[in-house]
Amino acid sequence: MTQKLDLTDIQGNIIKAYGRYNFQKARYLFLRIDDGDKGRKFVGAITTKVTSAVPWGKQDAEGTSTVPQATTNIAFTFDGLQALEIPTASQKGFPEDFIMGMSKRKDILGDDGPSDPANWDKIWKEKVHVWISINGQSIDAVKKRYEWIQEQIEASKGGVVLLTGHRGDKGEDNLPYQDASVLYDATGMPTPKEHFGYTDGIGDPVFEGQTNLAARVLGRGKLMRDGTWQPLATGEFLLGHVDEAMEYPKTAPSPWLLAHNGTYMVYRKLHENVGTFNRFLDEQSGIFNGSKEMLAAKFAGRWRDNGAPIVHAPDDASKTEWDKRYAAADESGKRKMLTDFTYNEDIHGTKCPYSAHLRRINPRGSLEFGVKDAYDTPGALVNRRRILRRGLPYGEVKDATRDDGNHGIIFMALNADIQRQFEFVQQQWINYANDFKEGNDKEVLLGNHDANDPGKVVFSAEPGSGKPPHFVSNIPRLVETRGGDYFFIPSITALKMIAGGIVDPT
Amino acid sequence: MSNIAGKAYAMNVITPIRWYMAWINKLIFKIALSNPSTLKGLITLSLIHYARWVIIPRDNFPRLDPSQPKEELNYSYMLFFSNFNGSWDQYVDSFTFAIPSGLDLFWKWNVRYPKSVPLTPFHDYIRHNQIDTAHYYNAYPMAASNDVKSAQKIKKALINFNAISADKAPEEFFDDYNKLLNDLQHHFGDMKPTPIVSLSADAVRKRYLQIPE
Ligand code: HEM
Repeated sequence: MTQKLDLTDIQGNIIKAYGRYNFQKARYLFLRIDDGDKGRKFVGAITTKVTSAVPWGKQDAEGTSTVPQATTNIAFTFDGLQALEIPTASQKGFPEDFIMGMSKRKDILGDDGPSDPANWDKIWKEKVHVWISINGQSIDAVKKRYEWIQEQIEASKGGVVLLTGHRGDKGEDNLPYQDASVLYDATGMPTPKEHFGYTDGIGDPVFEGQTNLAARVLGRGKLMRDGTWQPLATGEFLLGHVDEAMEYPKTAPSPWLLAHNGTYMVYRKLHENVGTFNRFLDEQSGIFNGSKEMLAAKFAGRWRDNGAPIVHAPDDASKTEWDKRYAAADESGKRKMLTDFTYNEDIHGTKCPYSAHLRRINPRGSLEFGVKDAYDTPGALVNRRRILRRGLPYGEVKDATRDDGNHGIIFMALNADIQRQFEFVQQQWINYANDFKEGNDKEVLLGNHDANDPGKVVFSAEPGSGKPPHFVSNIPRLVETRGGDYFFIPSITALKMIAGGIVDPT
Repeated sequence: MSNIAGKAYAMNVITPIRWYMAWINKLIFKIALSNPSTLKGLITLSLIHYARWVIIPRDNFPRLDPSQPKEELNYSYMLFFSNFNGSWDQYVDSFTFAIPSGLDLFWKWNVRYPKSVPLTPFHDYIRHNQIDTAHYYNAYPMAASNDVKSAQKIKKALINFNAISADKAPEEFFDDYNKLLNDLQHHFGDMKPTPIVSLSADAVRKRYLQIPE
């Protein structure tokens, strides 16, 4: 099945990870709509500047770059769509998870203790209706677009309110926006790092309708029985398209035009306890047979410095070898080395532990546990649980021994069915592990570890070697939720329909 | 009423089958039983405590008492009875994509069976023919089937270890102990309460146990 997407109709943030196009800065705004009529006018105004998924050529005819200085995208909570007065018959078509919103799903997501909504940034006590994102090639470009949006808010004459209550770097708790940014190295160069020091943003699912599939699909599509990779069905990530179950996603509201080319977004502000992470890593590497970097790689599934998959570089010696091959490879060879792997050669988790972030979150073919042809396809348990990731780090680590700064990841996951994809992964694979035959052992980095009853994970030794496995015990909570919600990202057609007040499911 | 007790979900599905076709299903069951590889997908899924398929002939429906009149039935019925971990809604995707041909094989001759892919008609077919559980008791609510299997394995290995290694010299004992850990390394998962299966099931549980909101 080949599929051509209408890129003029799809919002750009769905198809493009802006970070890859040198958009180093982002600002996220949340708004409340107090008046349907004025709110719709405001949405109409924003829509004129919404960035579509149309590819940016390197240069246009005059030789100037067609990559804009700033992008804008917009999405709505269920309450927001109600405030914009879409018909009840359309509202009824939205799924339960989206209608409830993130904070009411806390028991599913494991947002307890320090991650409980009671401890979130103040803004999440407000009625959040609209999310607007600005990604910029510079902070000035972001600010310029922000000012333009402020003018539109002003022009709504009270119809739309910009909400405040984000925590900031200087201890503020009432900022009107959430800023995010790539991290820079000591020389001021942008890096793909996050605050724990890992290299992020390497692998995102690849699906039908994207371009340049053959080169990108390795290790990122779905694994087939013959060992090749195929793009996932479009409907896993875009409503109105056929999904892996050979049907249109059930989560689409009517009319069709409202849903088609739209999707759902999970927005989560994830605070990283950098001090605890560093202490824990130091302490644990004292009793680990390998370097500190090797242990850090076991937690994530990739080495921190360059993202080398640990399944292909399982210890310090093989990592040195891997690095040599990597240095010698060309661009496409490098990309292949980073993404093109499975866990089939490591079915016991001796190299990449079952509990590693990467393996838990995308087990590739490994849930067949090496049983030959156990399922009809090796990705049977995985292909319906994939998510697109968009997002950037936020804040700054001023003191790497402390947790209480303002630093983490603005995590955004895009999928056609929040419950089946994002929530399932978060609940069943991060905070629980029956599918991995690891009982209630939580993932090291993201698990909602309980200070009063801390968990552990087991790193397997070579089976039959007589060597004991390695136990990582007393795992502290390394990542805490600081806020978030579920949003619907409409197509540009749907935005115009919402803005015009002409959504009609009859 | 709840189909959920702890980590287990009870599923009873009863589907009509033309009486003159029932023998095919019986044959399929026989083949499946004598040829375990037909069930390896199901076993690898490792969610299932128990699964059973039974044909109830149309002239042989159970009665509470011989005085209860026999029913006049047009169809024979296939009863599917299973306990598994998670819920039907959560895991229907896993079942459907792991073992679609197995599911189709078992239900193929049942009246109006839609095939397992596309998923929604299959999901609805099962839901429609499912008999919800009025009362469900689970002696070990914290144990998923993997937990039970691991516990059995660990118990046996420990008893064996004790018999063989208890009196060995420290170095040898240590080697044996490490070997024991290696043999059991995939069975050390913690056993703690289940992640909530659904918000409604959790609300029922809390009300029943009188846990304040
Ligand atoms: C502070 C929190 C987090 C940190 C530090 C983190 C870090 C990382 C790192 C270092 C990678 C490897 C780079 C790559 O493959 O692109 C990665 C991959 C990934 N992460 Fe996270 N992550 C976080 C939160 C999450 C959450 C909440 C989810 C989803 C529930 C998630 C889903 C993924 C996925 C799907 C991949 C790609 C896996 C693959 O396809 O092999 N991450 N993450």
